[in-house]
Order: sequence, then structure tokens, then C-alpha cells
Amino acid sequence: MSDRVDLLDPFEVAQLGDIELVARGVVEGFLAGLHRSPFRGFSVEFAEHRPYQPGDELRYLDWKILARADRLFVKQFEEETNLRSIIVFDVSKSMDWCSGERSLTKLEYAKRLVAALALVLIRQRDATGLIAFDDEVRKVVQARARPIHWWQLLRALVELQPGLGTVAEPALRKVTDLLRRRGLVIFVSDLLVEPVLVQRTLQFLRHRGHQVMVFHIMDPGELYLEGPAEARFEDPETGSSIIARPRELRSVYEETVRRTIEEWRAALRGSGMHYHHVLTDMPFGDVLRRATVSRTRLG
Amino acid sequence: MSFLQPLVLIGLAAVAVPPLLHLLAKRMPPVVMFPALRYLKATEREHSRRLKLRNLLLMLLRMAVIALIVLAASRPVANVGAGRMHPPTAVAIVVDNSLSSGAVVSGRTVLDRLRGRANQLLADLAVGDELWVITADGQPRRMGGTEATAILDTLSPSPVRLDLANAARQAAAVVERSSLGARVVLVLSDLQATAFSTGDPIATGSMWLDAESTPPNRGIDSAFAEPVLWSPDGTIVVGVSGDEGNAAAVQVSVGDVLLTRAVATPGAHVALAGSLPAHGWYEGVVELDPDELRADDQWWLALRSALPAGVRFDIRAGVFVRDAVEVLRSGGRVVNGSAVTLSDELGSQVTVLFPPNDPARVGAINRELAARGLGIGFGPLESGEWIIEGMFDAIAGTAVWRRHRIAGDTKPLATVGGEPWLVREGDVIIVGSRMDETWTRLPLTAGFLPFLDFMINRVAAAESWIERVHPGDLVVLPRRRHRSCLLVGRSPSQRIVRSAPHSRTGCSFSPMRREIRLARSR
Repeated sequence: MSDRVDLLDPFEVAQLGDIELVARGVVEGFLAGLHRSPFRGFSVEFAEHRPYQPGDELRYLDWKILARADRLFVKQFEEETNLRSIIVFDVSKSMDWCSGERSLTKLEYAKRLVAALALVLIRQRDATGLIAFDDEVRKVVQARARPIHWWQLLRALVELQPGLGTVAEPALRKVTDLLRRRGLVIFVSDLLVEPVLVQRTLQFLRHRGHQVMVFHIMDPGELYLEGPAEARFEDPETGSSIIARPRELRSVYEETVRRTIEEWRAALRGSGMHYHHVLTDMPFGDVLRRATVSRTRLG
Repeated sequence: MSFLQPLVLIGLAAVAVPPLLHLLAKRMPPVVMFPALRYLKATEREHSRRLKLRNLLLMLLRMAVIALIVLAASRPVANVGAGRMHPPTAVAIVVDNSLSSGAVVSGRTVLDRLRGRANQLLADLAVGDELWVITADGQPRRMGGTEATAILDTLSPSPVRLDLANAARQAAAVVERSSLGARVVLVLSDLQATAFSTGDPIATGSMWLDAESTPPNRGIDSAFAEPVLWSPDGTIVVGVSGDEGNAAAVQVSVGDVLLTRAVATPGAHVALAGSLPAHGWYEGVVELDPDELRADDQWWLALRSALPAGVRFDIRAGVFVRDAVEVLRSGGRVVNGSAVTLSDELGSQVTVLFPPNDPARVGAINRELAARGLGIGFGPLESGEWIIEGMFDAIAGTAVWRRHRIAGDTKPLATVGGEPWLVREGDVIIVGSRMDETWTRLPLTAGFLPFLDFMINRVAAAESWIERVHPGDLVVLPRRRHRSCLLVGRSPSQRIVRSAPHSRTGCSFSPMRREIRLARSR
């Protein structure tokens, strides 16, 4: 079993301590495995060489030294970043749900993920802010790059409680007030929203030059339809319900979910945005790594 | 198509169970919180039509399964084609090959038609079926289809009269003993009205198949002497059956002598009074005016005439006995004499002994009985209420309030409360009660005169039974002195003429074993 916190089961990691401790542990483990800055800024200059270690990307290998001295060295870069990022965080009531006793709710999982993301950004001296919303904007934290700012973000995250419905457009529009120049928008939500409106708003941000990264948070229990032979399924946000027999709808429901995820992925990637489908049983390190790889690939 | 268990079809009501369960169970399902309801709604919206159709088909399938189970349990039978289906069945076929089946209708005998129908029925039998065949002799025989066909092929009209009702009852009895679930009695007959006697209806399902039209017929249904013992006058009661409105002359002959005659209508009984020339056995024949079917126009019977018994009456037997004997004497049933004594003390010959009026004399009477070597005697006097049961229908059910217990091992002729009340041993017949209204109700009843007549002329004078039996029946003679007997069959071919006790002509008779086994005379 791995002793790295970022690779452990999220529920077990959450038992180790509060959000701050978990986020720190995750980020430390994540960065130790990465050995480089996860999010490159707009100005990156060569700094020095260091010996190659397994796991390093081969494209940073210095081929000249290899040819000349038959030794493996990788190049390290100095970042001079002035990246400004805003995390738009969905705290609606639908996020406060989990399918099992030994799992985190989508909200609790997302809080830890947001804290970890914020810590990674601030460690590389990127200004990071937070907008939390449900059916309206609930919390706004201005973007700052100082290390102490992470504590403010952390405090804001801890204080967030499950809200009501989900209306993302005001929160996303609020981003334009906080990011005057090009920056990074990280949208964390279960995406139980009106897709056309949200996609249009995200495209608007993208057109304004922002990089957009979407984390689609889902509980594994939402992928499959389980339950009694017949049940009244009720939406905790709207209170609307429907009577269904899971056995009859199971296969077509799974197909609908799979198709919805693919539609989100295609729509966002088609607009140059990053889309990450995140299940609440995925280790935080895996999520961070996938986000890092995709952003590196897409620039 | 028909059903062997049609009541099970009530179970078809269970077809309504799936829709009812659907309606009742659908409304209150448990609530499950589910944020991804958006996906579920989209799923149902896209597939609701297909789901509704599938659910409808599923419900129809469940209803069809229930209906099929119920239909299967009701055991349907389809009568289609040559391979007709039926469950394993116990079948009894009654083939009426009595003489009337020899009648020719439209150039073909009735029996041929019956045989043809029987062969059709036999062809429908399956391997698991059980078969009995009953012909005119009335004896059910278990056999296979091949054997039955062979028997039917050689069947010819028999002079024996087949009582169809009795035959059907016998057939029902044999199939009821079968372990198979399905049972049926098939009667193939020309269904003449003369072939039916009365009796209990049969519970087994039966089919009566006639052989189309047969000529009208009437016949003698029964004939018996009343009283059994003539002295020498008597009556013969003749039952005539057959097609209604076809009255005919009935006559009784003894030998070549015409005894009496009358006109009888089918469905009625006529009483023909007659007188026999002297005492002894007579072979009588009752004849009906002949019609096209002759077999049932004659009835043979035995007649017995005896001289009236000579009776000596003792007033100590009681005033009721005295008055009854006077009536019998005036009617010619008894005469003054000493052959039978009615008294409360022993006579020199046959004595009908009533309890003494004075109980103190009981001991002396018992000692006298013992001195004669008899094992019977009067026991203690008891009071109560009992009912007479025993040999003579006219007094059965009559109340007794006082009686002497009767000692001895002799089989009683009548009992009260399960204990002997009327016993004969040797020349003594002991009656447990005096013929007095304080002892028994008997002297006040209409059965008293027939009772005394029976006691004097048949029990005391040992003029005993006439049994009606059939060939093959076992006849057990009562333990009495037999002076003679006459066995008469029901048709000329079964007649056994004047068989004396020691004669073996036409019957096997063993006086020691007191049995007569009638044999066929063919």
C-alpha cells in the first residue's frame, strides 16, 4: 500500500485530519512525485540541471549531456509567474450527497480538492481567489499570491455550508470582475445545471482569453441506478420526484450518464477548455496529476 | 373441448391479481434522495414508451401464465381426431345382450348395433385405462381391450333378463374401487323400460347409449306369492313394466292348469288370487300376453301350499292370543288341533311358550325344559324399554317394556336390546314377553296377526322360507327340519325341477353343510 497521502482513498485520507492537513499532505505527496512545477506560467526560463530520476518527463532530458558524458540530466526551469486564477466552487444542495457510508459527499471531497489546488497555485506564486455559489454567489475571496492567503481561502472553504439550488451563470460572470487580464478559471461542480447556459458562459470566459478548467464531480452512485424494486427518486434541490423501477432503467440510465459526460467533455474541449470527470472515490493525487498533464498538453 | 375439473376454472379469477397488485402496490414506494434526478428524468423521457409497452406485455404474460396454470389444473380434454385424448380412466361398459337385443331393426339386430358402438368405445381406450365389461349375466369382468373385443364378437342374445339399473350400480361400484381419478360407466342397451328396477341412483358419471329405435315392449318386472305359504288360498303379486298405455292380460298357471288371470297396465302391480289343489310344492309360471320381445313375458316361481296348522290354545297365554287365534281360525289359517300349542306351559308337541303369569312358575318350567334336554329357559324378569329386531318385518320396531331374559346359546329369531327375545330349540319356541299390553305393544299393533300366523304356520310348523336367488348365488338353509324344497329358475333354461333334499339333480346340495349352490342347467 502506498504511504503517499495523495494516492490514498479520499475517505481514509479525510479521516487523518481537517481540510488543511489533508490538502497539505496531498500537495506534498503530489509535488514530491512531480519534481517540477505543475502549472507553468507565461514566462519560464532555464535555471539548472539535476540528475534524472524515474518519473521525470523525457522531454526535459538534456540530450547533449547524454551524448557527451553518457549521463542522464534533466533541465530545471525558473518560473516567473504572474498567473491569476479563480476557483468557482459549486456548493449547492446537490453537492451534499454521497451514496455510501464510507465515502465523502461531493461537497466534502470538492473542498479538499479545491484546498489542494489552491495550495499548489499559491506555492508557485500564482494569485488565487475563490467564488462559491449555489443559486446565487455566496462567497467571494479576492485573488492573492501571498502564502498566507491560502489560509484565508482555507477558512472560507471550511465555513461553506451546503446551499440551495444551482445557478452558475452569475458566479461565472463574477469572474470577469475579478480577473481583469488573462488568467485561469477553475470550475468545480457536479454540473447538475442547465448545460447550454453554463457552457455558453464558460465559452465567454474562454473568449476573453482565460484558461478554463472544469472539474465534474460525481459520486460513483450517480453512475449507476440502484435501489429497491420500485422507488420514488427525489431531487434534494428542487424536491421534484419520479417513480421508477431501477431494474428496468438501469442499463439505459447508465447509457444516459455516459452520454451526458461525453457531451460535456466534447463541448468543453471543443472550446479549448479542460474537462476532468472526477469521482469521489478517486485519490486526490490522481486528480491533480491528470489536471496537470492535460494543462501541460494543451498549454 | 371439455374439462374434467370444471370447478377449478373459478381460479381464472386469479388473472386479476397482477393488475390489482400493480394498482395497489404502485402508489406508496419508498423515497430515495437522488441528486442526479436530471439524468433519470431524461432516461425515462426517452424510454417511457418502450417501458410502458414492455410493462404491459409483462403483465399480460403474467396473466397468461396464471390462466394457463388454471386451465391445466382443470384438466381439459380435447376430442379431436383419431387420437382422442383423455386422462387414465376406469371404464365399465355394460352391454345389454338380453333377449330383446336379438330384435331385428332395419335389417340389423340390436345387438349388432350395440356391438358396433362398443367397439368404437374400445378403440378410444388408452394404455393407462382400466376396463370392465358387464353382459347380461350381470358379472363385471376386468379385461383388456383386445379381450373385450373378442368377447363382444362372440356375444349373442341371452335369455337372461338384465336389470340395467342394477348392472349400472355394479359397474359404478367396480370403477369407484379403481385408483384412477377419472371414472365412467357406459351402458349400451336398447333401453327398454322393462329393464329397469328402482333403487339408489349412481354417483359415477354414466352415459346411456341406446341402439336407435326398438319395438314397444312390456314385461314382467317381478312376481311373488303373498303369503309365502298358502293354505291353500293365496295371492300372487305381479309387477308389470314397459311402455305405458300398453295393457295386457296376465295369467298364472300351475303345470297345465290355469290358476288365475287379470289385466295389468305397465307400471302397475296386480294381485291375482288363486287356490292350490293340495298341500305341497308347485311350480308356477306367470305369463304376460306375448309381444314382439318375448323374453320378459314369463316369470317362474315356486308356490308352497300347506294344510292349516292344528292349534291348541291355552287361555293362560292371554286374551290377545286367544282373540287372534280365533280370527286366524275363522280365516282358515289355522284349525283346531294339537300340532302346535300356544300356552305358558309345555305341551306334548310343538309349543309356543309364553312367560307364565305367575313368576313363581318360571323355575318349574325351566326344570321341565332341562328335563327335555333343551338348553333354553326363562331368565330373570326385567323392565325397561326395548325395540324388537329380527326376522319378521311386521313386528320389527315394536316396543317391549317387560321381558324375561332367555338363557341358552341358541341363535335367536328375534332380539330386544341385542339380547334374545324369540328363540326356537327343538319343539319349543320361547317368547320373552307375554302378549299383554303391560309387557309389549305388539298385541295392539296390526302386525300381531301376521306375527302369530308366521309363528304357527312357518316357525312352529317348520314351513319355512322361499328364497329368491340367482345362478351362482349361495343359499344357506336355516337350521330347521326340512321336509322338502323346490328350486325354480327364472327362465325355462335355468329351471331346476322338484329337487328333494337328498336329490342332486340340477344342484349341489349338502344337508350337513346346509348349503345349496345353484348351478346353470345348460
